[in-house]
Amino acid sequence: MTVPIRLDACAKHYGATRVLEPLDLDITAGETVVLLGPSGCGKTTTLRLIAGLEVPDPGGRVRFGPRDVTDLPIERRNVGMVFQSYALFPNMSVAQNIGYGLKIRGVATAERRRRVGDMLDMMRIAELQDRAIGQLSGGQRQRVALARAIAVKPDVLLLDEPLTALDAKLRESLRVEIDSLLRGLGITTVYVTHDQAEAMALGDRIVVMSKGRIAQIGSPRDIWFAPADRFVAEFIGTTSPLPGEIAGGILTVAGATLPWAAGDGPVDVVVRPDAATLVGDGAGPGRLTATVRAAQFLGDRTRLAVTVAGDHLLTIDIGARETPAPGTTVTLALHPAALIVLARR
Amino acid sequence: MLLAQITDLHIKPRGRLAYRKVDTAQCLETAVQALLDLPQVPDAVLVTGDLVDAGRPEEYGLLREILSPIRLPLFLMPGNHDARGPLRAGFPDHRYLGTDGPIHYAIEEFPLRLLALDSLIDGQGGGRLGAAQLDWLDRRLAEQPDRPTVVAVHHPPFATGIGHMDKVGLEDAAGLATVIGRHGRVERVLSGHLHRAIQTRFAGTLASTAPSTAHSVALDIRAGAPSAFSLEPPGFQLHWYEPSAGLVSHTAAIGDWAGPFPFFENGILID
Repeated sequence: MTVPIRLDACAKHYGATRVLEPLDLDITAGETVVLLGPSGCGKTTTLRLIAGLEVPDPGGRVRFGPRDVTDLPIERRNVGMVFQSYALFPNMSVAQNIGYGLKIRGVATAERRRRVGDMLDMMRIAELQDRAIGQLSGGQRQRVALARAIAVKPDVLLLDEPLTALDAKLRESLRVEIDSLLRGLGITTVYVTHDQAEAMALGDRIVVMSKGRIAQIGSPRDIWFAPADRFVAEFIGTTSPLPGEIAGGILTVAGATLPWAAGDGPVDVVVRPDAATLVGDGAGPGRLTATVRAAQFLGDRTRLAVTVAGDHLLTIDIGARETPAPGTTVTLALHPAALIVLARR
Repeated sequence: MLLAQITDLHIKPRGRLAYRKVDTAQCLETAVQALLDLPQVPDAVLVTGDLVDAGRPEEYGLLREILSPIRLPLFLMPGNHDARGPLRAGFPDHRYLGTDGPIHYAIEEFPLRLLALDSLIDGQGGGRLGAAQLDWLDRRLAEQPDRPTVVAVHHPPFATGIGHMDKVGLEDAAGLATVIGRHGRVERVLSGHLHRAIQTRFAGTLASTAPSTAHSVALDIRAGAPSAFSLEPPGFQLHWYEPSAGLVSHTAAIGDWAGPFPFFENGILID
């Protein structure tokens, strides 16, 4: 049975250090929520509070559906967890690992065998069942770890950076697999990562965290297209926001001017890689001059690192066949619809 | 749950006896068989240090081979005879061992939480945890104040009366007592190092050492006791945890003993 999760005023201190400000979070039954942020932001502490691996400071409550689980240890919460540090028991076979949670819960041998068989099939690793963990590839190990977590039919699935140790290509393919697996299972899932691409790919909603608090909660599109503040914009995107100014309905940024319907004042302008194109003509709205620092051919496109307005670095994607040489000066046109403009506080 | 503790294995390279007397590899093979023959299979096996005798890579290779029939969650800890680098290199798939620094870890899978510490000081017989590790322990214990927990450290944090062993004890035992005394649910501090089963009250809980799978430290409780060992029956311990019963520890002697024999025949106590 899958359940909603609710955190009420969950804070966490260690001695005098507050690692988590009082936090409220509602997770819908069956939803996949990704906790995203840099190290030390409180995402892992939040996951551990949900798991029962830590208790919140007095006053904080954790609920699974109608059940208040705040005072229950992990083994009484019916959670499936994939730990980052020691996912599997190395001296046991694949099948033994998958069946382990069932065994410790006292599930009878026949039922256990059936369940392990189901899991092996579901993760498409049946041929590996008798292998030792040391004989598996990184991707196969993560499949086994997931199978073990899911085998116990948990109410809640908790994943702590399960792909961090893998190489980029494998991460991408496993990401796709985990995504379709989670959609198929419909278990309420909380996934912790510091990788925004992973968060985008997997989350129904993303909780961006910073310095022990929630910076923004929203769908991947919300977070990407309408970041709540400069921190979120910077963490999610690939470049730093540019300082700009709105005066009399005109936005000025890095030498470019654009009509902009907003109140006067200083702003931060977030330029995503798709928010500017290379143009030949310097006249017109949103034109600015940039110096090419590096051009990376990515096959389907070229990724340019350019500096504008002195030393502000921008990342811009252009056509794969365009090849401006490093050191050359180019003209860019900003697309107003793709710009994110945040009032500076 | 049932946690098996084996300790002080002192594996030497194949064919070499420890202190010219003890075939520690053979001893461990027998111990592993004894564990596997238990009527109740343990839920996990904890090895509380002195895995090998001299920290050599080939010793860890042999250790790995001898432990391989144990198809149970197995957790290794270093003792003063170990070396972290070769230990990690010999067991690269034991990811809880980490990649650098002291080998301390928390195991959360079981009803009983396990916090393992690293008291190894390179090149010395005595042990020390150090401030950073005590702080780590304090934080881990604060995370789950109500969870029944076992803390494991190779060097026991108490004097045993066996003079030559107490000279190579745990340097910052007082610091460990302070940390453990702050938290109520430490059910036991489990150690090895002494090659004997010994218990004492410690910081509001119970601290104990388990017998070695090989030789015993001679039972000589004098300050000037000479450093010596004897070949008493080796053993291991089974720590049985049930929420209603608490943590109950049993010591098993390893050997080919006669029995078990029935007490009763046809419902009547045999006279």
